[in-house]
Amino acid sequence: MYIVNYRRRAEAAFLLFCFFFFLSIARLCFIQFFRSEYLAEIAQKQHNMFIELEPRRGTVYDCNLKPLAVNLVFESVYAEPNQLSREQKERIAAQLAPLLALERSFLASRLDRDKAFVWLARKVSPEQAQQIRALKFKGIGMIKESKRCYPNDYLLSQVLGFAGLDNTGLEGLELYYDNYLKGEPGWATVLRDARSKRLDLNDTTVPAKDGYHLVLTIDEVVQYIAERELEKAYQTYHAKGASIIVIDPRTGQLLALANRPGYDLNKPGHVSKDQIRNRAICDMFEPGSVFKIVTAAAALEENKVNEMTRFFCENGEYRVANHTLHDHRPHGWLTFREVIEQSSNIGTSKVAQLLGPDKLYEYIKRFGFGAKLGIDIPGEINGSIKPPRQWSKTSIACVPMGQEVGVTALQLATALSVIANGGYLMKPYLVREVRDRQGQVIDYYPPTLVRQVLSEETAARMRKILIGVMENGTGKMGKLGQFTAGGKTGTAQKLDPNGSYSHDKYIASFMGFAPAEDPQVAIVVTVDEPHPYYFGGVVAAPVFKRVAEDVLKYLKTKEYTQQTASLK
Amino acid sequence: MRLPRFLLVCLSATALSLMYVWQQTEVFHLAYTGQKQLVKFEELLDENSSLRYNLTRKTSLTRMGTRVAANTEFRMPDNYCLVKVPLSGKEFKAANGRLPRKETLFARMFGIKRQAEARTVNTSDAFAVRIAGDLNIR
Repeated sequence: MYIVNYRRRAEAAFLLFCFFFFLSIARLCFIQFFRSEYLAEIAQKQHNMFIELEPRRGTVYDCNLKPLAVNLVFESVYAEPNQLSREQKERIAAQLAPLLALERSFLASRLDRDKAFVWLARKVSPEQAQQIRALKFKGIGMIKESKRCYPNDYLLSQVLGFAGLDNTGLEGLELYYDNYLKGEPGWATVLRDARSKRLDLNDTTVPAKDGYHLVLTIDEVVQYIAERELEKAYQTYHAKGASIIVIDPRTGQLLALANRPGYDLNKPGHVSKDQIRNRAICDMFEPGSVFKIVTAAAALEENKVNEMTRFFCENGEYRVANHTLHDHRPHGWLTFREVIEQSSNIGTSKVAQLLGPDKLYEYIKRFGFGAKLGIDIPGEINGSIKPPRQWSKTSIACVPMGQEVGVTALQLATALSVIANGGYLMKPYLVREVRDRQGQVIDYYPPTLVRQVLSEETAARMRKILIGVMENGTGKMGKLGQFTAGGKTGTAQKLDPNGSYSHDKYIASFMGFAPAEDPQVAIVVTVDEPHPYYFGGVVAAPVFKRVAEDVLKYLKTKEYTQQTASLK
Repeated sequence: MRLPRFLLVCLSATALSLMYVWQQTEVFHLAYTGQKQLVKFEELLDENSSLRYNLTRKTSLTRMGTRVAANTEFRMPDNYCLVKVPLSGKEFKAANGRLPRKETLFARMFGIKRQAEARTVNTSDAFAVRIAGDLNIR
């Protein structure tokens, strides 16, 4: 009896276990066959994390491979407001505000948002990051992000431009070459554990394609010399603005390009449009007497004059149509060479009359005025040159001496290069090479010849005349101590809002090349509204002198160092 | 006979399972270690680039130029500040250690003349003029 009962119970228990066993098997089969996809998807979401891999933005180097713009890793502070209580939020806002140099109310408003994630501060300094980490706030975290940094602060500011918070180029070369510099983002799915901690057992990875590096034609040392001297002139003469261009006339490579006022590239937040503007390529102005080199070169090339052709300069007063021309000093008879040396307006207008409006216009265009030169930086303008059919009766007197025409400083620099290099118009450019991360050259930009403007003989004759300007004429203050140089001064009256020429607003300019026998650099200096002195020969020529001297010494030393290194 | 074999099979299966689990935990353990090393490596790389940047920044021409301009009190005197005092024979001797040798007729006829002489007076004048220009500008 006892045994029978025991057996029945055992059988019942066995049946019960079997029932649950088959129930479990049935459930497993159901899950496996009908719910597997859904559950696998949920598991995948829990275990795997999709992350975007940020590419590293390319570095910008000068021609000696010194970095001008680099990317560094900074930490950004975020909060998870949903995980914070009211008291915690208040405490965090109170303690972080002085650390981040932000308003407490600003932080409080961000923490009050009903969101799972908010940024508190982007790309804070390492010291700030360390201090915040030490506070060990719950619900406050940091994410690493890269930030564009410029080791030379204000150097080359308008040319380099800057990149925004998301590493996209916003100005200058950073904008123009953004496609090369920014690279392509990648992505990866990585495992994460129960604590959401990342575990690099990658299933799939598409690596980020880092941006390419740019190698500029700019030389950091030349740029520094140019900016140092330009700053002095800008400060001394209380100018409204100033520009300087140093170009290699043989190749069209820009060695330096600077403008004033400038700005600190590391603090682009509070910068005015005036500071950002690249005046050397964006601003058009009437060039004044520096433009006489175009008239003179055209007349020589067309054999209308020679150096000894004599012109009567009307003792300083000459009437053309209803306009009276004046020279800054009365002259009688002057040879063609002296007309340029003494910068006689009357003499130059007479030269232009021999040449005729059509020929003059043709040469102005051939020198590259009135059209973009195609420099690789945004913002270049055409300038303004009217065709002869739109000229007034006085235009033949005004255009040759740089009135009624609008040019940029860059156009003046390339025009001067034509004379300095033997008559060839070279396209100006800023980027020499594009390189990948391994240093392989991806793209190389060679010098580009646009056209031949003058014969080599005419260019040589013009060079001699311009040397005379420095030796005997208006450019004496630009004369170099150890090198020979040629150049031309210019003092242009600015236009008043009523359309007449101003008597207290001038643009002082000087352009020159050196050494005269084999020009290595052509330099253009323009100073906008200098006070109290405003003559190009007084304000801009000394800048040329100091820059040319220092740059030539530096280039000679560099050449010697390179030769010595190659011998070793 | 059957029971020991059954037990052996069970034991082997358990051992294999344990080995598989151990292997899996080791993989994850190594992954965690690797992850830590990677983070450290990246931190060091970031620090390295940051230090390099600081070095470039501290040795940049703009910074050095500003520091030199701020710290130096030296100013090259203007031309009008300079007084040129002609030296007497004795003073010249004291300054140069010896008197200049007199050129005799014989020496003038047969002596080898020096090819070039540094003209210090002109050079320094030119330099002073240049520096004076700098000072005016400041």
